[in-house]
Amino acid sequence: MSSRPHHSRLTQAADRFQAWGRRILLSLPLIFVAIFLVVPLGLTVMISFWERAGLKFRPAFSLASYVSLIGGARLEVLRRSLVVALEATALSLVLAYAIAYFLARKVEPATARIVLVLFTIPFLINYIVRNVSYTVLLGRTGVVNTALMSAGITDAPLDWLLYSDFAVLLGLISAYMPFMIFPLFLSIGAIDRQFIEASALLGASPFTTFRTITLPLSLPGVFAAGLFGLVGCLGESAVPIILGGVGYELIGNTITSSMDVLNYPLAAALSSIVILLMLLLMLGWYLVFDMRSFLGRILEWRA
Amino acid sequence: MWLVIALALAFLYVPLVPSLVASLAGARPGEWTLRWYGELWRTPLVLSAFRSSALVALLVGILAPLLGLLAALAIRELRVPRLILLAMLMPLFIPGVSMGLASAFLFRLLGIAPSLTTIVIVQTLWALPFATLIILTAMTTFDPQYLEAAYMAGAGRWRAFRDIELPLIASGITGAVSFSAILSINETIRTSAVQGPWNTVPTYIWSTYRQVGLSPVLYALMGLIIITTIVIVLAYLLLSRQASRR
Repeated sequence: MSSRPHHSRLTQAADRFQAWGRRILLSLPLIFVAIFLVVPLGLTVMISFWERAGLKFRPAFSLASYVSLIGGARLEVLRRSLVVALEATALSLVLAYAIAYFLARKVEPATARIVLVLFTIPFLINYIVRNVSYTVLLGRTGVVNTALMSAGITDAPLDWLLYSDFAVLLGLISAYMPFMIFPLFLSIGAIDRQFIEASALLGASPFTTFRTITLPLSLPGVFAAGLFGLVGCLGESAVPIILGGVGYELIGNTITSSMDVLNYPLAAALSSIVILLMLLLMLGWYLVFDMRSFLGRILEWRA
Repeated sequence: MWLVIALALAFLYVPLVPSLVASLAGARPGEWTLRWYGELWRTPLVLSAFRSSALVALLVGILAPLLGLLAALAIRELRVPRLILLAMLMPLFIPGVSMGLASAFLFRLLGIAPSLTTIVIVQTLWALPFATLIILTAMTTFDPQYLEAAYMAGAGRWRAFRDIELPLIASGITGAVSFSAILSINETIRTSAVQGPWNTVPTYIWSTYRQVGLSPVLYALMGLIIITTIVIVLAYLLLSRQASRR
């Protein structure tokens, strides 16, 4: 900080006031999140222990909701959701990594930016639009089947295109893969080229360089992308409803259907489990990876 | 590799086409009409959903980037940068339906009735991580030495920020504004949990789809969302092109 001439008591007090004012101003986002996100999450956990009483629910300490989870169908839904989410995230990661690697290392920055923008748009578009269109495309009388049949590749419409695991996977991947490209792009782009050049100079094959240098150094981005994908897939309620058809239950639409029947403690319990899982993963991300690599230059400036 | 990217992009954009096409379809195949878009104006529920969506998007487009900017500055200046960053990123780790549910619990407990305000709050939370990251990224190209120079020339902190830093990170701020607005326009699940009787365009589409099913008018509405989103993106690209030319 620049040196200042000695000020009178009044201006010193004014300085301190201004400094405090600034601190409060800058804390506003944190306060906002604390009130409107952290507190509600605590409420959710609390309500998951409440009882259902007819159409309402009242304070209690009961494990009824959690018990109803353990015995039976809902646990299976949770397991199935995790499996599907992991599959979708893994596939998306592979594809997103390939694209991000290509854009970060083999393409000029200006072009890469345009391509990245192109990838964000479908992500932003309301998912109902996207998923409904898939039903049009993948249905028995849909575009894909008509094309396949008229090209003579198949004799009868393929049933498994829609209302199946395939359709749900497709919906999930198309939803989250585009946005996963970003953290990967940032991570890969941040790797100092000199490391890669040095590795090549020392005689390593491109694949070895990738395996020992690029991949490990891009892990923070991989984890961030994977986490984002996982959370998104687990939270999805539209995809299972629209593309999975009646009776295809994932955690997302289980929560919404329990909300529909006003069983809020159950919805809260389901939410709490998923949220707990996600927060544990987030904590793991924080502890394992040096946030400095993520925050980059900004932290360097801190006096 | 470009082939893979082209395929991926095609794969992602194709689903947008059927809705647009269906919204223009006339009574007989091969006939095109804008009639369904016209119908939208005649439906009061749709019009009020428009109003709500527009107002909420405006407010979120201001509030989220503002908080994101404060958060980015806080990360740079306060003593707990990682805590602040993690807090800003938390909405990304909470599934949408759970966030909506949790917020609904809070509002109910505090006795706050559902209104456009509750919708704005929930959507701001959702847009906050994106706005913060965009502005943070813009700040990485900004060298604080400029601020130091300003301080030495006698400028106060606010003056230095306003005259020096703000213009240089302006592209980040417009990016955050555009992104927040787009996210707001398309947000469905969190909004539907706290909206009460107030519909936004996406929640209107969702509830109509679930209760009644699809119709050309609904397709027209979906088409409008697609078009609006693309328009905002194009506007942002044009603005940033102009700015970098100067």
